[in-house]
Amino acid sequence: MRLKARHKAGAIIPTASMADIAFLLIVFFMLTITFEKDKTQVALPRTELRFEIPKEVAYIALTNDGLIRSTDGESMSATVPPDDVISFASNVVSKYPGRPIVLKADKDVPYEKVDKILDSLKQARVELIYLLSEQVTVDK
Amino acid sequence: MKLDKKTASDEIPTSSMADIAFLLIVYFMLTATFAATRGLDFALPKDDENPPIIEKEDSVLIEIQPSGELVVDQKSMRLDEIFDYLEPKLENNPKKPVIIRPQPAAPYGEMVRVFDLLRTIKIQREGEAVKVVTVTMSDLQKAADDTSIDLGKDINISIPTQREIDAFWF
Repeated sequence: MRLKARHKAGAIIPTASMADIAFLLIVFFMLTITFEKDKTQVALPRTELRFEIPKEVAYIALTNDGLIRSTDGESMSATVPPDDVISFASNVVSKYPGRPIVLKADKDVPYEKVDKILDSLKQARVELIYLLSEQVTVDK
Repeated sequence: MKLDKKTASDEIPTSSMADIAFLLIVYFMLTATFAATRGLDFALPKDDENPPIIEKEDSVLIEIQPSGELVVDQKSMRLDEIFDYLEPKLENNPKKPVIIRPQPAAPYGEMVRVFDLLRTIKIQREGEAVKVVTVTMSDLQKAADDTSIDLGKDINISIPTQREIDAFWF
């Protein structure tokens, strides 16, 4: 009796759904991406308590060498002289009432520099600020 | 002579679609910066014409030295000793103001550490009794997930600026 030739499976990997998966991933990345308005590199202080910062905020970054960069949250951050922080904050308060300001300061910066910024923010009647921080780690 | 007729395929060529899509993914992954989006909130007091006068004796004063050393009510203390020092005082008077006063040359990170510690102190009222505790990990977890939970606002923390100190203190 002659045996019938077996049906051979095709040596092709089905890749039709690959594009669907990839596009799903793209949609995910597009929805979750937040374009940082401030890319100043600072070593943030570490805290146990950390609250989620709203998306629409203004930033003031303060580097270890005292350089201040700020953004109202609409454009990329730019350098501001220390004396202009108050006018920057007043602008934010008048243009976007209720918008919090995030202070992104280096943990090693002398406190007097932070104090000047906090004082300017108080004078500009900013209601809420966030002190940007990293999660405290167990290795103490 | 026999002519070979070539028939056009009726399928849309989609084999390169995945390549394009993965290229886009790589682009998004490389440009995405995992931004730090959490921090300690700090409500600034409204600029009051007549701020309440706080006598130094009524409050707890935490000074931060340039070296990072902490001096609490004139006594040198470690960060982990502050809770034990504050506990009886806050049980007596939960509204007792705690003032953080970093020296101009003190590192900002130390101020944040002290502020963070004070924010983790919770005041529980059971009838007349007042109990001072620290927040638990589950409290932290809940607060991290639910923004409506107001954690760490039980004690009266004040961080006066140098201008305020010059203007109103002494």
